[in-house]
Amino acid sequence: MRRVLLVYGAGAIGRGYLPWVFSPQEFDYYYVETNPAIANLINTQKQFTTCRIRNGAYECMTVPVVQCFRPGEETAVIDKADAIVTAVGPRNIYPLSESIKGTTKPVICCENDASIPSLITTLTGNPNVVFAIPDVITSNTAPPELLNKDPLSIVTEDGTCYIDERVSYLGGNCIYINQDELSKQWMAKLYLHNTPHCIAAYLGYILQVNYLHESMKNPHVDRIVTGAMNEMQQLLAKKFFIDQQFIGWYADKELQRFRNSLLFDPISRVAREPFRKLAPNERLIGAAQLCVSCGIIPQNILLGIMAAFCYDNPADPDVNIKYLMDSLAPKDFLRIAMQLRPGEALYELLLKRWDNDIGTLRNLNDI
Amino acid sequence: MKAAVSAGSLLLEYSGDRVKTSPKESLRDIVTEVDMYAEKKVISILRKADPGCQILTEETGRLTGTRGDKLWIVDALDGTVNYVNHIPLYNVSISCVEKGNPVVGVIYNPVLGDLYYGAEGYGVYRNHVRIKVKDGVPGECLFAAAFSGKKYDPASRSEEFLAFEKVNDTSRGCLRTGSASLNLSYVAEGRLGGCWGKANKIWDIAAGIIIANLAGAHVEYHYLNPEKSLVSYAVAVPSAWDYLSGIVLPRK
Repeated sequence: MRRVLLVYGAGAIGRGYLPWVFSPQEFDYYYVETNPAIANLINTQKQFTTCRIRNGAYECMTVPVVQCFRPGEETAVIDKADAIVTAVGPRNIYPLSESIKGTTKPVICCENDASIPSLITTLTGNPNVVFAIPDVITSNTAPPELLNKDPLSIVTEDGTCYIDERVSYLGGNCIYINQDELSKQWMAKLYLHNTPHCIAAYLGYILQVNYLHESMKNPHVDRIVTGAMNEMQQLLAKKFFIDQQFIGWYADKELQRFRNSLLFDPISRVAREPFRKLAPNERLIGAAQLCVSCGIIPQNILLGIMAAFCYDNPADPDVNIKYLMDSLAPKDFLRIAMQLRPGEALYELLLKRWDNDIGTLRNLNDI
Repeated sequence: MKAAVSAGSLLLEYSGDRVKTSPKESLRDIVTEVDMYAEKKVISILRKADPGCQILTEETGRLTGTRGDKLWIVDALDGTVNYVNHIPLYNVSISCVEKGNPVVGVIYNPVLGDLYYGAEGYGVYRNHVRIKVKDGVPGECLFAAAFSGKKYDPASRSEEFLAFEKVNDTSRGCLRTGSASLNLSYVAEGRLGGCWGKANKIWDIAAGIIIANLAGAHVEYHYLNPEKSLVSYAVAVPSAWDYLSGIVLPRK
């Protein structure tokens, strides 16, 4: 019997990757999407194309969609859904939780934040909310030859999706693991993927390239990103006692991924919202703080942090980082915008290296 | 922003000292030597960044410039009484007015590290976070009043107290924080539902007016006496506007 999947977010993960996990041959797909252009196009086409990269080539699948709702219109489908998947980003969790309040249907959170399932449980009262880690890079667009055939085309890696085993009855092309294993995978994703990934993006923005693989082609960028990866590897081994073999395998896999020229991972997507990534417990400042606390000098991550400070994309919601960088002295910027305290190690390190690191970033194009 | 933060750092530097005060128009209207230092700091930064601009400041008055279209309005220490009493509710307030309209506003509280800033077309923020008013009905809002620092006049003071009493008793309450710019920035951020002031000085509120306006507040202000830079104003979240203006603005 066919089952019903209600997916919040028809972006990179929701549209590009999820159909490879829960096959459209078994599930009827319904989406909820805030972007009216995407929602309208899905409803007009009643389908879209997702292409996964396998053996250096694209393998494409057409995904039929029953309907794509605007937020708030999906109430009737919540009752008949066999599962709800969220892939919306942390800023949209509150309105989403309002919509699904009252249901006890399983909710799978494909969010880049491990605290989201408990937040949704708190907001909705639904105990059946689990975490999932799509270990994959999915672009939110595709190369022109694919977009010409279908403007909704999207490209994804052939990744692995790890899901909390409490919903293993849903089946699908994924790996169900217990919460300890999920936690290990999350640590790896958080530090070995997220940190170097966004550093590659911020450096790419400085180089004025559009895609991550183009950024990684620059030898200075590759060296800095690889260096940041090494710093993260040291951290995971020292602080969290995660075994070296797993860490080494994961790190190599990630670097290959960043260099994958078929992926077309947009810089603007990965670098989006620098203030969120620079938050005290997040992938840049948070990661650097942990390194410092373990006696690791995160010099490559510091360069990544400086690159994030320079992300002045006028189309980004955090464009005010530019006003703050342009207006404030470095010591004031670190204190007011980054909430770092004068005297603490990371504040002093960033300040001491400020001019030198800005110089290094300016010279990225000198090869 | 640079000028506000630099002046704020200077205020903080002197805040532990015994500060020499001089009276102005009333017992509550005072000036300190630190006001003057901070103001000089702001002027020097503005002059360097925007040569030829006109500047209107609380202590020095109007400084002419070669460019008549742009005026910077500066209060290097809004909340002087709080400052001398070591109450951490004081701000540097700077705004830019073009053709009579405030277009840029910056308010900085150096103790709390809160930097509010906004400009027409650019949005409004506290530090790195975009802010907006939190709309709510008057019964669920907290308000704040800024009393005039002018010489005591029983008739007008009585009106101010009556309005204060009415708002205080028909809402979550009414504060008198001692800093108009603080009130306005708190409305912008959703901490207060509204604020008002009668016969305040333009430099107290110019930056806050634009910040609150950009954050979605309903703003109304008018000059009582342009020569003396005296203004009255009311600012509130949309759902509380009729309530607050009905109490504090003179009936037309």
